[in-house]
Amino acid sequence: MICAENLQKRFGNVAAVDGASFTAADGAVTGLLGPNGAGKTTSLRMIYGLMKPDGGAITVDGQDITADPQAVQARIGVLPDQSGLYGRLTPREHIRYFGNLHGLRGAELENSIEKWIDLLDLKGVAGRRVAGFSHGERTKVALARALVHNPQNILLDEPTNGLDVMSTRAVREVIRRLKAEGRCVLFSSHVMQEVSALCDRIVVMAAGRIVAKGTADELLAITGMGSLEDAFVSLAGPQGAAANGEIA
Amino acid sequence: MNLSPIAVVARKELMDGFRDRRSIYTILFSALFGPLLISFMFSQLATQNKAAQEIRLPVLGSEYAPVLVNWLAQQSGVEIAPGPADPEAAVRDGKADMVLVIKKEFGEDFGESKPAPVQVFSDSTHHSVEPKVRRLTLLLTRFNAEMGGMRLIVRGVSPQVASPLKVEEVDVANSQQRAATLLNVVLMFLTMAVLTAGMQISTDSTAGERERGSLEPLLLNPVPRWQLIAGKWAAAALAAFGGMVLTLLIIAQVMSRLPLEELGVRSHLGLDKICLLILTVAPLALMAPAAQVYLSCFAKSYKEAQSYAAILIAMVVIPGVVSELYSLSNQPWMQTIPVLAQYSIGTDILGGKTPSPVGLVLAAIEGVVVAAVLLWLAARLFSREKIIFGR
Repeated sequence: MICAENLQKRFGNVAAVDGASFTAADGAVTGLLGPNGAGKTTSLRMIYGLMKPDGGAITVDGQDITADPQAVQARIGVLPDQSGLYGRLTPREHIRYFGNLHGLRGAELENSIEKWIDLLDLKGVAGRRVAGFSHGERTKVALARALVHNPQNILLDEPTNGLDVMSTRAVREVIRRLKAEGRCVLFSSHVMQEVSALCDRIVVMAAGRIVAKGTADELLAITGMGSLEDAFVSLAGPQGAAANGEIA
Repeated sequence: MNLSPIAVVARKELMDGFRDRRSIYTILFSALFGPLLISFMFSQLATQNKAAQEIRLPVLGSEYAPVLVNWLAQQSGVEIAPGPADPEAAVRDGKADMVLVIKKEFGEDFGESKPAPVQVFSDSTHHSVEPKVRRLTLLLTRFNAEMGGMRLIVRGVSPQVASPLKVEEVDVANSQQRAATLLNVVLMFLTMAVLTAGMQISTDSTAGERERGSLEPLLLNPVPRWQLIAGKWAAAALAAFGGMVLTLLIIAQVMSRLPLEELGVRSHLGLDKICLLILTVAPLALMAPAAQVYLSCFAKSYKEAQSYAAILIAMVVIPGVVSELYSLSNQPWMQTIPVLAQYSIGTDILGGKTPSPVGLVLAAIEGVVVAAVLLWLAARLFSREKIIFGR
């Protein structure tokens, strides 16, 4: 369970995030939808504790991120916008490294490693160095690495960006599985289809503000549009962001 | 938990580092470069010493001074050769090391007991010729003294009258210490090994981590920043220490095969000296990687970090070279300054003196403190948003 309340973040004169409030519930997939530069990545970075908010409050499972960042980080798994792998290490070594840093050891760790290698279809490449991997394979390794400690809360920054069909499908299956296990999944995207295919709740963000929240049907009702894409454009487009500022 | 995060990070960085061919090459290069240069330098010195004893002397105008030329020819290791027509050009072009020119007036002046003119042509920019020229001028001075003495005796005067001074040179340095000044290059190569062997890991695991975008996921683990930094440092420090020990062992091997006795050097790198040297240089293996890690935090890329590390090498090696050139070594204050302390204590060890345990302990404490401060600063930098996300 992730709660963000009135988040503020400025870079110089630019308000990257300007009073964003939203929650992501357990056992649900929450989509943070918005065009490029809307403040999605900055919001996620504040939630996973690598950026300090200028204002507002964040709690993860009731714990304040600023009070004890490490306690929160132990409860979250993150796929940042860059996979950031080590070219000379194998997928198994990547996952083991992060598992170790989360305090996992022995059989518990090895079982978890094999579980994620299996679920993400990495068996064939698990012993090879990642230097020559495709974008899809790299993303899956980064995802397995982020999930090795079986976190209750999962943050994914544009997880399926630039992936082929097979990899996208594997990632989606993992997201559905996490939801079924009662975990809290928050992921950002600027791709309509992605969000509508996976999300229970959608938070639409534009120019640092939350412009709408709700299920896909609710968003259609708010905007009076026939398709989710039209709804998104009317909410997050340049006019929409200004006009709909109050809806949120 | 049976493995602390520091050890987890250090193990990963070592594994990652040693799979990188660049780090293997750097360690091998720094470990072999020093010993090769040392063996080259010493064998060059040995041949030079031998060459100075045997000189081939082109003489122009030997017909004007048969007395002098015969006397020179009788000296051991001197071979008289006919001189070139243009002595100046011959020396400048390197065709002759030196040329002795005897003027036409020599016979007449010599007969009248007036100073008879001779010229020695040599090129002072050719350092290798210097010992030979010195030998020749020494021979001429001896001829001068012998002839002058004989002339005085003929005139019924004791030659001692013409020697108001009796100069005796007393060199207080024993041969071990003389050797030590030569052997100080050993220390230079040890410090270089410390600086280069850990460099790949310290730069790649910090600036490289940033460049690859892997810093952000790493910082998401529930581990304090300082422990991550300490792990990276520990890996680099182990590599630096290993590289230094490897270099020292190879140097010791090479030196045991060099004709050091011919140079009056009796210094052998026995096991006791090797251990003491390792103890002496070890604090550098704590400090140098810490400085590299700290500097790398400012670098946006692995290459930028490498250029900072290169400047660091120059900063550390130059004091050693300067203290060597100006014979600054072994002032007590030096033992309080990092790097100079290692040079100073190391010179003592190579010179056959036993270093004071207090000095060794102080240098070790200093190394730990300096490394800790640098790591603390680096950990603070690692918390800055600009460093984590700025690329």
